[in-house]
Amino acid sequence: MNQVACLLYPKITGFKNRLRAYDRGTVTRLIVGIVLGLGFWAGIFAVFYRVLTYLTGIAGLGDILAAKLLSMVFLTFFSLLIFSNIITALSSYFMSEELQLIMSSPIKVASLYLTKFIETTVNSSWMVLLFSLPVFLSYGIAYHQGPLYYCALPAAVIPFIIVSAALGIGIALGLTMVFPARRIRDIMVLLSLLLGIGLYCMFRYLQPEKLVDPESFRTVVEYFASIEAPTSAFLPSQWATDAVSALLFSARNGALFNLLLLWSTGLAGIVILQRLFEAVYFTAWTKSQEAGSARLAKHTTIKNMLERALARLCPQSRALIIKDLFCFLRDSSQWSQLFVLSAIIFIYLYNISVLPLEKSPFPTIYLQNFISFLNLGLAGFTLAAVAVRFAFPAISIEGESFWIIKSAPFSIRKFMWCKFWLNCLFLLVLAEVLIISSNYLLRVDRFMMLVSSITIAIMCFGITSLSIGCGAAYPRFDVENKAQIPTGFGGLIYMILAIFFIGIVIVLEAGPVYMVLMAQLHRSSLQTPQLVRICIAFAAVLVINALVFFVPMKIGIRKLSELEKF
Amino acid sequence: MITLSHLTKRFNSLVAVNDVCLEVAQGELFGFLGPNGAGKTTTIKMMAGLMQPTSGSVAISSRDIAQDPEAAKQITGFIPDRPYLYGKLTAREFLHFISGLYRVPQAEAEERIAQLLELFNLTQWADELIEGFSHGMKQRLVMSSALIHRPRVLIVDEPMVGLDPAGAKLVKRIFKGLCEAGVTVFMSTHTLEIAEEMCGRIGIIQDGRLIAAGTIKELREMSGAMGRRLEEIFFKLTGEQEMGALIEALRL
Repeated sequence: MNQVACLLYPKITGFKNRLRAYDRGTVTRLIVGIVLGLGFWAGIFAVFYRVLTYLTGIAGLGDILAAKLLSMVFLTFFSLLIFSNIITALSSYFMSEELQLIMSSPIKVASLYLTKFIETTVNSSWMVLLFSLPVFLSYGIAYHQGPLYYCALPAAVIPFIIVSAALGIGIALGLTMVFPARRIRDIMVLLSLLLGIGLYCMFRYLQPEKLVDPESFRTVVEYFASIEAPTSAFLPSQWATDAVSALLFSARNGALFNLLLLWSTGLAGIVILQRLFEAVYFTAWTKSQEAGSARLAKHTTIKNMLERALARLCPQSRALIIKDLFCFLRDSSQWSQLFVLSAIIFIYLYNISVLPLEKSPFPTIYLQNFISFLNLGLAGFTLAAVAVRFAFPAISIEGESFWIIKSAPFSIRKFMWCKFWLNCLFLLVLAEVLIISSNYLLRVDRFMMLVSSITIAIMCFGITSLSIGCGAAYPRFDVENKAQIPTGFGGLIYMILAIFFIGIVIVLEAGPVYMVLMAQLHRSSLQTPQLVRICIAFAAVLVINALVFFVPMKIGIRKLSELEKF
Repeated sequence: MITLSHLTKRFNSLVAVNDVCLEVAQGELFGFLGPNGAGKTTTIKMMAGLMQPTSGSVAISSRDIAQDPEAAKQITGFIPDRPYLYGKLTAREFLHFISGLYRVPQAEAEERIAQLLELFNLTQWADELIEGFSHGMKQRLVMSSALIHRPRVLIVDEPMVGLDPAGAKLVKRIFKGLCEAGVTVFMSTHTLEIAEEMCGRIGIIQDGRLIAAGTIKELREMSGAMGRRLEEIFFKLTGEQEMGALIEALRL
């Protein structure tokens, strides 16, 4: 245990030193982070509380739906935690630079394993844990729970996190036994596929479309049976759901059984993994130090094609873009996220395609266009989420090689705009694919197609500027695993700002779109005051988009130019 | 060729570089010495445009690095002490990237890359990913990249770290050859023998202040050191003579 404490000492002391070495900028960042985080936290709480108070009012069905919602929450957390633990474990157990020092010291593998287990679990779970609190709090308040619920909650959540971590770390170890960790692209291909399949399976398990379409069941009994059925009795997320549900819906015995199940599985997982690590870790770590091969290195055709395609650009921008593309294609932690992106697009479009619009009591044309408008917000949010994965890290991926850019006769302004256009182009194509194909599936009219296509295109510039600007203002050049770049403070700030930005645009456009739709529905023409309001709203949208296009880039350029530590 | 005027850098209350004034002429190989934490790397980072001075200025061939950074950087080659490179590029691709950044025409770049890879014994590794390179190989690659645009000034931080004897010998020859061709080399080093062997003039920095600058002969006169070796002069000037006593103490 002394060895574990010794290995944890630099982490804990480093964390304390970071907290102590604050300046004005750090304090401001902390305050902004806390305020925005609390706002986001309060938002989650408000949404869940509203939904749950509504459900408590539905006799019989309400509790079942609340339990189903809880199972969805736990299943989502479970998938996120496993994926996050695999990525973090690969980095901390196999790729971390401190391993050279640790492995050359007389440290037991068991101590190393346990230290890294704690490190991996904390690093990959703290954010999920933080943002799960308002969900559990809203359940507690909506169902008038006493102190027992709040005391018992950690007893369910902590082992749930341990089980997820043990599973994630175990999978990472298994994968490194098959593939060398440096050739991580192979692992990441598998991981991405697993995630895609996992998402799909989770989605199919939950069958959310059936919850809003009771008529698809032959009888009411069958409907109830369907939503009452557990997701899977073998999933730890279901044990956690059952433990918390038992507390919420007054079935204390069930809680104890599921809590014991979670704790025993978690602790058994830690012990079994320790034995596995003692047996195979050194072999796996040795393999992890092998270098990868240079794909495309001798494919001059591809290089020539790129050179020709970018011939009109200045040599510096061309060199940067070619460098970025090659690094992207060879770094599996970057390109494998395309699989995740494909899964997101697939699920997104699938959701749209299964919406039971024809069963609604509202006129179909109205609903189609109304949903198309909401779809604009959702597509904007999806775009923001994709940008946090691809555009936000664009500056930080330069890593400790950023000195090359800084010492070259290449201005930071030019460097930043180069990054902007490369990412903007990619996001613009994605945005239009999402909007046009979802609108096509919804069979909306020409007006909505035009409004949403133009709005998403304009927003795309703002979202890209926000992501590149925030990425430059909060760069993370020292992150070993590129996939972790968006998980820091800057990523959080970007996501919150992007959501606010999308929200404001949607709110501003909602009025005019509603007016036009109603006029279409009633076959009447728009009045002058209405036209004025529409013009003002669209002008405001343009002004906000222009601000979000220029300001973050300007701030990012200034911050990056002033940066001296990298 | 290089002019440092009252160059100062503060990090909160710490003065890392304090009012340094220095001129280095064209074709000169200037050695920059000092104990750990004396301010060598900070000075070099300001010269390479990686750090902004708190006050004072750096001019490379009359181009102020703060006022006209692109012009100053265009004629400068920089070799840092730690060769962080893009691990996912091959050596050849990396050199292509650098030649793009320094606007070297395509045809000239091809020829220059082949020459430099050959010169630094990297031809057989040219199409391998940099992430698999040893420290010494990365150091040689950085040196190649710093020379690709035929700089008129070369700023080097600890050039011999990680190089094998053959590599070190090669670098010495290259630096001497560059100086003969009129290139100014500003080199920081901890290896006093190298400074003594290669540099025409030497500057010694301690606690951020340039405490001495001149030829070995001038430094000897300045320090009043009896010995001929630069090591003795260095210790005399920096007040680190107690080192011998410390070494003795550690042997006990």
